[in-house]
Amino acid sequence: MKNISIKLFTIIVMLMLLTSGGYLFYKFYADSKNVTESLLEENIQVNLLNMKYFLDKNLKENNIDQLVAYLDNRVHSNSIIDDIHILDNNKKLLYATDRDDYALHKGIQCLPISKIINSDIFQQECYSFSVKLFDDLTPYYYQTNIYLNRAYLDSLLKDKIIKYLTLFIVNFFILMVILWITINKLIVNPLEQLRQFAYYSTKVPKQFLIQELESIRYSLDLTFKRLKEEQKELFNLSTKDPLSGLYNRLSLVEKINWLISKSKRSDAQFALLFLDLDNFKNINDSRGHEFGDKVLQHVSQVLISSVRDNDIVSRLGGDEFVIVLPDIEDNDAILEVIHRIREALNIPVVFDNYKYHVTCSIGITIYPKDGRDVTELLKNSDIAMYKSKDLGKNNFHFFTERLNDEIQEKIKIQRVMVSALEEGNFKLFYQPKVDIVSNKIVGCEGLIRLIDPIVGLIPPDRFIHIAEENNFIIPLGEWIIEEGARQLKTWESTPLKDLKLSINVSGVQFKDSNLLSTLENAISTIDKNKFEIELTESVLMTDFDEKLEIIDKFKALGLRLSLDDFGTGYSSLSYLKKIPFDTLKIDKSFIDDLENTKDQSFVNMIVTIADELNLEVVAEGVENKKQLKYLKSMKCEQYQGYLCSRPLPANEFESLFLERECP
Amino acid sequence: MKQILFIALFFTLLFTSCSQENKKELHISTNSWIGYAPLFYAKEKGYLDKLNIELITNISLAEAANIYDIGKAEIVTTTQHEYYSLKNSGHDIIPVILLDRSNGGDMVLSNKNINTLIHAKKIYAYLEIDSINAEILQDFLKRYNISEKKMVFINKDQSQIESLQPQDDKNMLVVTYVPYNIKLKKSGFKELASTKKMSTIMVIDALCTNESTLKNNKERLHQLKAVIDRSIQELQADKRASYNLVKRYLENMSYGDYIDSLELIKWINKPSQKLLKRIEPMGYEAKQLIQ
Repeated sequence: MKNISIKLFTIIVMLMLLTSGGYLFYKFYADSKNVTESLLEENIQVNLLNMKYFLDKNLKENNIDQLVAYLDNRVHSNSIIDDIHILDNNKKLLYATDRDDYALHKGIQCLPISKIINSDIFQQECYSFSVKLFDDLTPYYYQTNIYLNRAYLDSLLKDKIIKYLTLFIVNFFILMVILWITINKLIVNPLEQLRQFAYYSTKVPKQFLIQELESIRYSLDLTFKRLKEEQKELFNLSTKDPLSGLYNRLSLVEKINWLISKSKRSDAQFALLFLDLDNFKNINDSRGHEFGDKVLQHVSQVLISSVRDNDIVSRLGGDEFVIVLPDIEDNDAILEVIHRIREALNIPVVFDNYKYHVTCSIGITIYPKDGRDVTELLKNSDIAMYKSKDLGKNNFHFFTERLNDEIQEKIKIQRVMVSALEEGNFKLFYQPKVDIVSNKIVGCEGLIRLIDPIVGLIPPDRFIHIAEENNFIIPLGEWIIEEGARQLKTWESTPLKDLKLSINVSGVQFKDSNLLSTLENAISTIDKNKFEIELTESVLMTDFDEKLEIIDKFKALGLRLSLDDFGTGYSSLSYLKKIPFDTLKIDKSFIDDLENTKDQSFVNMIVTIADELNLEVVAEGVENKKQLKYLKSMKCEQYQGYLCSRPLPANEFESLFLERECP
Repeated sequence: MKQILFIALFFTLLFTSCSQENKKELHISTNSWIGYAPLFYAKEKGYLDKLNIELITNISLAEAANIYDIGKAEIVTTTQHEYYSLKNSGHDIIPVILLDRSNGGDMVLSNKNINTLIHAKKIYAYLEIDSINAEILQDFLKRYNISEKKMVFINKDQSQIESLQPQDDKNMLVVTYVPYNIKLKKSGFKELASTKKMSTIMVIDALCTNESTLKNNKERLHQLKAVIDRSIQELQADKRASYNLVKRYLENMSYGDYIDSLELIKWINKPSQKLLKRIEPMGYEAKQLIQ
């Protein structure tokens, strides 16, 4: 349906009003004219009736002169009647009121008075009636013509026309103007305001007089307010982290991108601080997530209060935060912020009567030096942060290229390790343990080697610590256990059947709940007394009680235990007291300087302790005969080192065993 | 939108067209004649009001005719005298409803007997010259061969005539009709002739109107005829009741006079063919009469 504007609608309504108003005014005028006409007719009829009665009674043949005064008086006292003519039965004029100009009405047709009702008095000029006279009983008729005062009647009609026309036009014009202004002011303008409000939703229109429009305005206002609130909430949801109220990752990336664009134009630099809470996982595990959330909220507040207004603080997730410091000219400004953060965090927080010290590790990158896009900057600051964690936590570290190289190396080794385990690139090499008296190989230590088909041999010191960092040591350790046990089983039917095999177990492997079952399964078909677990003192330094429990279970499985790198730790003797070791391995550092009398004393002392505790003792890292001679003089039982052989693949080790004796 | 505009236009037209005039009031100009009692009865019973017809009562038929003459009434009660007078003065008057004929209702009274009058040299005749009185008197003079030359005609209204007293030194003829005759008779005037015995004249009372009214109100005039018929029937059926209703139109005559007066007329609202044939030469054409 084609729609029309309110203005057009109003014009149509006004035209309809004009039509009906015009009709009403016409009717009103016509009625008024009719009333006037009726009154005039009545007047004329009454006058004529009286006159007719008078004439009927008084008019005789030839007595008209006696009636002149009466007739003149009738005309002069009545403003409607202009003139009276009385004509005899021969149409001879007997009487005329206007006797000076009686021919004035010549040619005017007179309408019988009986037809006055159906005539238009304003158009009629003359009415007539007959007067009956009698000659004895014989009647004859005179005619009386009554001429109307046209000027008077016209003035009546003219006055009415002017009056009603003026009344109608003025009233209608005023009404239309009022209607137009009213509709414009009360409907059209408010509707236009509502339209603009609905379209732009900016300026809220003022209250309207019309109830329905006001209701729409109120509803629109309410809806827009609600929409804005919801929009704000949605914006916050999409840009802010709900827990901390800080910017989320998406928003951070957007802001950093904007900052990069800005910095490119102005050659400015900015700093990105990657912040990770230290030991936060322990908090969540020990105090619950609710407590952890409170800590995160506290840290968020600390960070917000520690930075400038235009700095950006964001929570990436978990306990990771990022702070962006725009327009940084030197490192002092960064250090100032870090100082403030650490100082604020240094104040212990108390939640649920539990006091907690929050510390964090921070990695710092500078745009554009340390990265030219968001990903690179975040990655490098993360690297720097991990470096600060490595440095003992509650620390900060600037990203450097060397650090980057380390990380790249680490990533590369991680990737190689994963594929190596899948593709069988890990090999267990065996370094002989030689009886110092008989010079015969009596055992060996299984040492892991990674032989990448592309890179070649990767020494353990390049990957073991990485494997320990990311817990890859657990599956790798399982493989070592299984491979060692399998090799022992293989050797059972060979001349090597009496050899003992030791493997190293990392401290990380103690976290593996499957460690015991893996061991149990691996040694189920071999002589358990030939399988030895080597533990370094560093393994025992943390969580000793828990580990002792597991170590006891090793023993319960029938395994042998060896204390590796003995003498390098601080509590070596206490371990010997608490753990039922079978073997002591003297650290290579003592052997290297064996010519030194002080070291000779240490080695001698260790051998003596082992003898006293009835433990086997193995000297590590023996590389020359001189060292062997010393050891022999100290009655050390076994040695291990390049003097006999480097660690060898199984087949070479077997050949070594079969083909020759070690010195 | 179009529908709304059409509806608005429709109501505007409806509103404007609703203001048509109601059926225009008709007026019957009449006087106090017993023969017009059905009209008075219909008025009192409200039958005329339903037809929007109003009665204008006058002292005489001449006045009633004057009222019609000047256009204050569209219908008038006439005898043939008023009918002819109006017609002769230029009116397109037509008799449409027959009411009654005088059957003794019009009469000639005198203070002398007929022989005295025949031989009298001078006779004073009191009458409404411009009425049926004139025709009745002429018929009376013709019947008794009394010359008009010895007549002195004195034109008076019946209300004036009613007060006449017989004068022994004058030969007086009074032409009157019911109910004015009652007082005159009481004053000593004797009836010499009446329409009951006058076979040469027939006084017809009828309702006349003009062509325009007849044309525009044909249906209403037929309804009026039906009302008159009904009124005559009811009037005859319960004379006491009808008397109580119409007496004030008849100068408060007594019930006895009312009954007597009714005897002096004959209703011709349902005329015989014979009557119609007789009155046709008088200008009462059967085809124009509503029957």
